[in-house]
Amino acid sequence: MGKGRKRLEKQKTSVSMKDTWNILRHLFRYAKPYKVTFLVSFIFLAFISAITAYLPIVIQHYIDNYLATKSATLAITIRVVVFYGVLTLLKAAFTYAKDYLFNTAAEKTVANIRNQLYGKVVDLGMRYFDQTPVGTVVSRVTNDTETIKDFWTVFINLTTGLFNVISISIAMFALRWQMALVFIAFLPIMMILVVVYQRKSVLIYGRMREALSRLNAKLNESISGMGIIQKYHQEKRLAEEFDVTNQTYVQARRAMYSMNALLLMPAINLIESFALVAVLLIFGYQDFVTHTVDVGIIYAFTSYSRSFFQPIGQMMNGLSTLQDGIVAGKRIQELVNEQELAPRSNEKAGSQITEGHIEVKNLNFSYDGEHQVLRDINFEAKPGQTIALVGQTGSGKSSIINVLMRFYDYQKGEILIDGHSLKDIPVEEIRKKMGLVLQDSFLFYGNIADNIRMYNHEYSDADIRAAGEFVYADTFISQLDKGYQAKVIERGDSFSAGERQLISFARTILRSPSILILDEATANIDTETEEKIQNGLVNMRKNRTSLIIAHRLSTIKDADLILVLRNGEIIEQGTHEDLIAEQGTYFDMYQLQTYQK
Amino acid sequence: MFRTFKKLDWFFKLRWKSYTFGVVALIICAILQVLNPKIVGTIIDQFVAGTLNWRTLIFWVSLILIFALVMYGLRYGWRMALFGNSTLIESILRNRLFSHFTRMDAAFFQRYRTGDLMAHATNDLAAIRFVAADGVLTLTDAFSLGGVTLFSMFFFIDWKLTLFSILPFPILIAISTYLGKLIHARYRGALKAFSSMNNHVQESVSGIKVLKALGEEKEDFYAFEKETEKVVEENRGVYKLKAGVNPSIEIVMGLTYVIALLIGGNYVQTGRISIGDLVAFISYIGMMQWPLLAVGSLINTLERGNAAYDRVELLLSNETSIVEAEKPVKKPLDGDIDFDIQSFSYPNEHKPALSHVSFHLKKGNTLGIVGRTGSGKSTIYKLLLRDYDLYKGAILYGGINIKDYALQSLKEGIAIVPQDNFLFSTTIRDNIRFGNPALSQEEIEEAAKTAHIHEDILQFPKGYDTTVGERGVSLSGGQKQRIAIARALAVEPECLILDDSLSAVDANTEEAILASLKQKRSQKTTIISAHRISSIMQADEIIVMDEGQISEKGTHDQLIDYQGWYAEMYQKQQLERKLDGEGA
Repeated sequence: MGKGRKRLEKQKTSVSMKDTWNILRHLFRYAKPYKVTFLVSFIFLAFISAITAYLPIVIQHYIDNYLATKSATLAITIRVVVFYGVLTLLKAAFTYAKDYLFNTAAEKTVANIRNQLYGKVVDLGMRYFDQTPVGTVVSRVTNDTETIKDFWTVFINLTTGLFNVISISIAMFALRWQMALVFIAFLPIMMILVVVYQRKSVLIYGRMREALSRLNAKLNESISGMGIIQKYHQEKRLAEEFDVTNQTYVQARRAMYSMNALLLMPAINLIESFALVAVLLIFGYQDFVTHTVDVGIIYAFTSYSRSFFQPIGQMMNGLSTLQDGIVAGKRIQELVNEQELAPRSNEKAGSQITEGHIEVKNLNFSYDGEHQVLRDINFEAKPGQTIALVGQTGSGKSSIINVLMRFYDYQKGEILIDGHSLKDIPVEEIRKKMGLVLQDSFLFYGNIADNIRMYNHEYSDADIRAAGEFVYADTFISQLDKGYQAKVIERGDSFSAGERQLISFARTILRSPSILILDEATANIDTETEEKIQNGLVNMRKNRTSLIIAHRLSTIKDADLILVLRNGEIIEQGTHEDLIAEQGTYFDMYQLQTYQK
Repeated sequence: MFRTFKKLDWFFKLRWKSYTFGVVALIICAILQVLNPKIVGTIIDQFVAGTLNWRTLIFWVSLILIFALVMYGLRYGWRMALFGNSTLIESILRNRLFSHFTRMDAAFFQRYRTGDLMAHATNDLAAIRFVAADGVLTLTDAFSLGGVTLFSMFFFIDWKLTLFSILPFPILIAISTYLGKLIHARYRGALKAFSSMNNHVQESVSGIKVLKALGEEKEDFYAFEKETEKVVEENRGVYKLKAGVNPSIEIVMGLTYVIALLIGGNYVQTGRISIGDLVAFISYIGMMQWPLLAVGSLINTLERGNAAYDRVELLLSNETSIVEAEKPVKKPLDGDIDFDIQSFSYPNEHKPALSHVSFHLKKGNTLGIVGRTGSGKSTIYKLLLRDYDLYKGAILYGGINIKDYALQSLKEGIAIVPQDNFLFSTTIRDNIRFGNPALSQEEIEEAAKTAHIHEDILQFPKGYDTTVGERGVSLSGGQKQRIAIARALAVEPECLILDDSLSAVDANTEEAILASLKQKRSQKTTIISAHRISSIMQADEIIVMDEGQISEKGTHDQLIDYQGWYAEMYQKQQLERKLDGEGA
């Protein structure tokens, strides 16, 4: 049938360079609405970098002009100290503003991605939801977007590194351009280091992620299959196999540690020391040749060697996070580009549903374009009539409803409601006028009134109570401590199947649909409960066209027309009495059910 | 706080060499690191005094260079030692958990769900890994670097200057602890908002059909937007505080610098210290920042690791209720089965799952068991396989109580094909020879042929090398069942149990499988339970289970004559078969 097939989660851990750019461009699009905030935070960042570069100069100036010449009076020292203090305060204030603004903007960007993703999700067709596990969708909308947040943090680190390198370079050139050149000379070495690290880290982190996911898969599978493992006495062998997977992961982690130890912070510190040595040698040379060395400048350059190289190290540290962000971004992009949209109405669709007259003509339908699920279905439901669909699992009953509710588009034939093609009626109109009750009565977290009202706040509490009374749900609801305000936990687990179904009846009837569709609405309910809700059902069907898929044939005896389906075709039709008299499939089914009682 | 380390002492003892190396390397690094500013200060002083010459400069510079290279080596070394150890303890504990799981009984796996066990094996082990590396690192480094730096400030530079300068440090610790607490509280709010948003998606996607049927997807989307807005708001509250952490550190450190300059400048002026000393001193202040902040993260790491270790210990302390007899019977199972249970109930349940169930099954015979879901069919197998041991009554195999057999004999003697036909995501070949990896291809095919799955397997592009669950190839329920049957046949068990394992196989194939089983296993015992009467009607004896008791017993013909549940079921199924289009 093609419905039950679930999509396998893609486990790709690396992305090509071209895709990376695409994904980055895509991600930046979401940040556009907040570009002013981002920009302001970058301006603050520039100021912070400038102050960071300037602070050592203040001290250098103090050392060379006052301390070295023994002219540092208390007044001068205080002046310097106050100046230093003010700059520090400014830097702190800017840092606060930058961090707050940037993080807020990043948070809003992520919210923007989430909203757009979710907007896309609810617009997708049922086909998508029939094929995709709920967990996958949840993880796209919440977890993958959360990863993007870390991605932004790395991005600001990158910018900080860049700004620092620039502002410190400027400060160094202003102080001693020859010295500055020494640092600049180290840049190509750093570049090589970054490139080598990037190349290696993509591989090593990729291998590590893969080893981890294999390890977890193995563990998960072994726990699920522990019964089999024990019954076949293979505990030892599986433990040995697990150890192999385990050690592969250990090796991958060790490789990661080794790479980081060789190329990250220790390497940066080493290069820092080389720069320091170069600085000292050149100062020494100047001293011996020209005898004009200001010690403050040595201080300034030794402190620069730290702030020049450290941010680059941090930047490299963030590269693996960046990679995670790209992988998450790719999955987000895939969902955004998902083509399985809900069926659309024709462009100028404006027809209304008034009477509820349904005609189905030569309807053909297939889920996958290969296997025909409905073949040449023809029937008519006059306003106010009740039509029942019966047949074995997979006979096509639910598919008729999927098509009628516009969950899926039909390929051939026509469905007319009040003389208009279903495709000419706006989807909103269809949803409003056609009330569907499903076999699995899904309740949402909240209270009973919320579950009946859902998002339509036009209905008053009195309306809701009226709906409850109408379907005979009021009897049990009014016995609850809080009545309609009684809490509903996830999936409505505190209520019985029958109670849940009654609430969903009220939900449907509140909207007074012209056409009522019951998709095995009583299948999960035991016979006793069914008798109780029968009254509600009878009330609901009054004065409306009803289409009922019934599991228990006793509930549809009074239908105006019963259609018996097999393999997507109508094989028998008529009233209950007609079909019993016919002694065909319906008769057999009816007999079978008398056994079950 | 340090009890976490105490709990890991077995591992520290095991790896004491690399830990000693790591800790010593860290301390040497700290000392070398602290010497650098002193060298630079000395050079500066010699500049000022005009006493610097090439020889001394080269000497100092070479010293810095040598230190740098030694530190590079040491840093690599301690990282590999500490982090290497941390991944080692993680893998040791993971293996320990795994083999523990293999020893646990069914009750254990009912108590802990797969997701919980996975969480223990990943999150908890990660927290312990953190203690074994980052915990040791932070502790050693914070104390050695902090200590050595403070020592140098006191004794190399000036004790008075040091005392004044470190005055703001307690403020730093106070502020970072206080802010940390505030942030943590706010962060909880943000987490709550996030999980509420997460639940919204989870719920709405689960109930998407309802939403779509009501045409309220748009409204649901607006509600979701409110959720994301709330997440932004809550996080904004966190950022408001979090953005204050770095600036407050900066201000306090700035205050320290200001004090150092103010007093240090005066000292230089009066000649109490040299300019070089002041420059070195300023560098030292910078080096103190990290040890001060490290203390907070150390506490956090240790507390989390402690809780995680306790959880893992708790998991490992579970014991299985199935124990081998002291002098187990090691010979293979052989003979008749005498099953006689007066009563058995599952742990934590009052209602007995079986009461007064007894039957005698002759070697080489076939027993059929039918009954509603939950009538006790699978429970019979669970007792036979010693999943549960606490019952009133006895089960004898060949006259010997099954509790007296060695577990190995029992497991080798009985093979079960369970209802859920669980297969491993490896090749079909490995799945069939799961119980005996040494089987030849011929023997594997033999089993596959008996289970009537051989032809199906050959249809797959990769044949027996097809990986189960691989994309592109999806096995039908019936194919999975037949592979599971082949797996059981491959070990040639003395007793074969088919627990409703023909349900997804069509009627013709079922008949064929039953026929070849009868032929191949004429000398061996078989027990079949099924919903479909056709699966068991050929059995030598059939029992009907109802609410944990045997309600009918006999051969097919006898039971049909009896006109009870069995006969009714049989008629109903005949009718169903007709409805299905006569074997469509």
